[in-house]
Amino acid sequence: MNAVSLENVSVSFFDRPILQAVNALFPAGRISVLVGRSGSGKTTLLRTVNRLNEEFPGCRTSGTITIDCGGGPCNIYARPNEGGLSLPELRRRVGMLFQTPNCFPVSVYRNIAMPLALTAGVNANDIPDKAREALAAVGLWEELKDRLDMPAERLSGGQQQRLCLARLLALNPSILLLDEPTASLDVHAARQIEDLLLDLAPRYTVIMVSHGLRQARHMADQILICEKGRLTGIIEDPARLDEEHLAERIYASDATDADASTRV
Amino acid sequence: MMPQAGAHTGESRAALPALAAGLALLGIGLLFAMVIIAALPAFLDHGAGSVFTWSWRPYRGEFGILAMLSGSVILSVSALLLAWPLALALCFWIITSPRSPFLVPVRGCLRLMTAVPTVVYGFAAVFLITPLVRAGLGGSGFCWLAAALVLTLLVLPTMALIMEAGLAPRLSALCPGGLAVGLDRMELLWFFVLPLSRKTLLAAALLGLGRAFGDTLVPLMLAGNAPQIPAGPGDSLRTLTAHMALVTANEVGGAAYNSLFAAGALLLAVTALTSLMLRRIQAALDTGAEQQ
Repeated sequence: MNAVSLENVSVSFFDRPILQAVNALFPAGRISVLVGRSGSGKTTLLRTVNRLNEEFPGCRTSGTITIDCGGGPCNIYARPNEGGLSLPELRRRVGMLFQTPNCFPVSVYRNIAMPLALTAGVNANDIPDKAREALAAVGLWEELKDRLDMPAERLSGGQQQRLCLARLLALNPSILLLDEPTASLDVHAARQIEDLLLDLAPRYTVIMVSHGLRQARHMADQILICEKGRLTGIIEDPARLDEEHLAERIYASDATDADASTRV
Repeated sequence: MMPQAGAHTGESRAALPALAAGLALLGIGLLFAMVIIAALPAFLDHGAGSVFTWSWRPYRGEFGILAMLSGSVILSVSALLLAWPLALALCFWIITSPRSPFLVPVRGCLRLMTAVPTVVYGFAAVFLITPLVRAGLGGSGFCWLAAALVLTLLVLPTMALIMEAGLAPRLSALCPGGLAVGLDRMELLWFFVLPLSRKTLLAAALLGLGRAFGDTLVPLMLAGNAPQIPAGPGDSLRTLTAHMALVTANEVGGAAYNSLFAAGALLLAVTALTSLMLRRIQAALDTGAEQQ
């Protein structure tokens, strides 16, 4: 089953094309990693799935994007009364983690509790349990259980990123979009997040942007190669290749732009 | 010789701004001293001619300016009470509607409005607002309400732009991330930005109050200028500023003229006070103290 499918998706900002006629399938319960040079459209592709591009001025999206959270495929642009999802509901089911942690300027606890109450409409009595579960899932509960009322900004970078992940998980999503989630962290914190994501992955469909070949090879079930706003190649089960071969494959797809795009 | 010449130019370059700053400070100091010294006799006179009475009847030797002081307070506070929530609503709309086609024209209009001289507001309102007020409340239409409405319009754009400058960066810092959690801009603003922005909102209010309190032409042209405490929005009132403009236009010298220095000193005290408070808040905002 494919959790996300993109059909002929194009995105432009102020008439400048960023993505052009992209077709892609992201299998459920697997980790798909997008690689490619800066400016190749990876982040824009990621943001089509939760309709985040549209929050920026001048954005135009065309094509069909379908997600399947277990209840059958659903066009993300359909209105709620036509079997579609409201924007808050879509973004609850399709969670996103950013390059730099973006905690709210409130306490650790309220970072998780407020979206639960506002987006997911969770009953006030159930919020403490759900917050604890989410913090435990990212390994923060033991570290922070006595300091839940401290401002989230005082946490270390790695802790903040895990808090952001906990905030997502509390909302019970089925698809996770990760935009270079370890790029702003030190090696140790980055490893911690990677391991955490690998642990969590079987329960979620993960689409991730990564700049690191090592990370892509280590985590991905499939690697999708972006080049100049198009998908130019796909590598299944990259762990079977060593890093050198992987680099060759990704590099080679740069040269054979046109043929490769037909394979995706 | 050359290095000496260079050092000499450097010194005179440093001395010029210091001289200019000194002159400016001296000017302000002299202004304060002159107003206070000139106002002293009026302040010290506790007899019938005292300025601290409610009655302004110069032909009877009564020079009370308390009615004008309360007129200024009533008018500026009522304009602020109307303008502050409107400015906040406008600021909310501006920063939560980044894709609206009306955004650019509305912001352009606000900036233009801050640059329009107050006499234009007053003049336009004589023909546009006073007939409406006359129809609604009776009387001449030149009253507290008419002046308050136009003062509201006068201070609204500045306040909205100050609020926007304070709130917009805080909202955009939360933006892609907060939106991706499923919250919209209004929720982010309400729950996460506003609680941290009390000082910005207070600064906007003080700035609006200062402008409304100090404005002369709008109350002079629209408030009716009767030296009395208004009983309702349809009644005429006179502000300190309008009072000073009226008396200086008609008198030169004499007791009435001297009482103006007392009015001027009060006005100076109120505006200096709001300005000082504003600067303290601004300094706190600059050092990020609002975050604590």
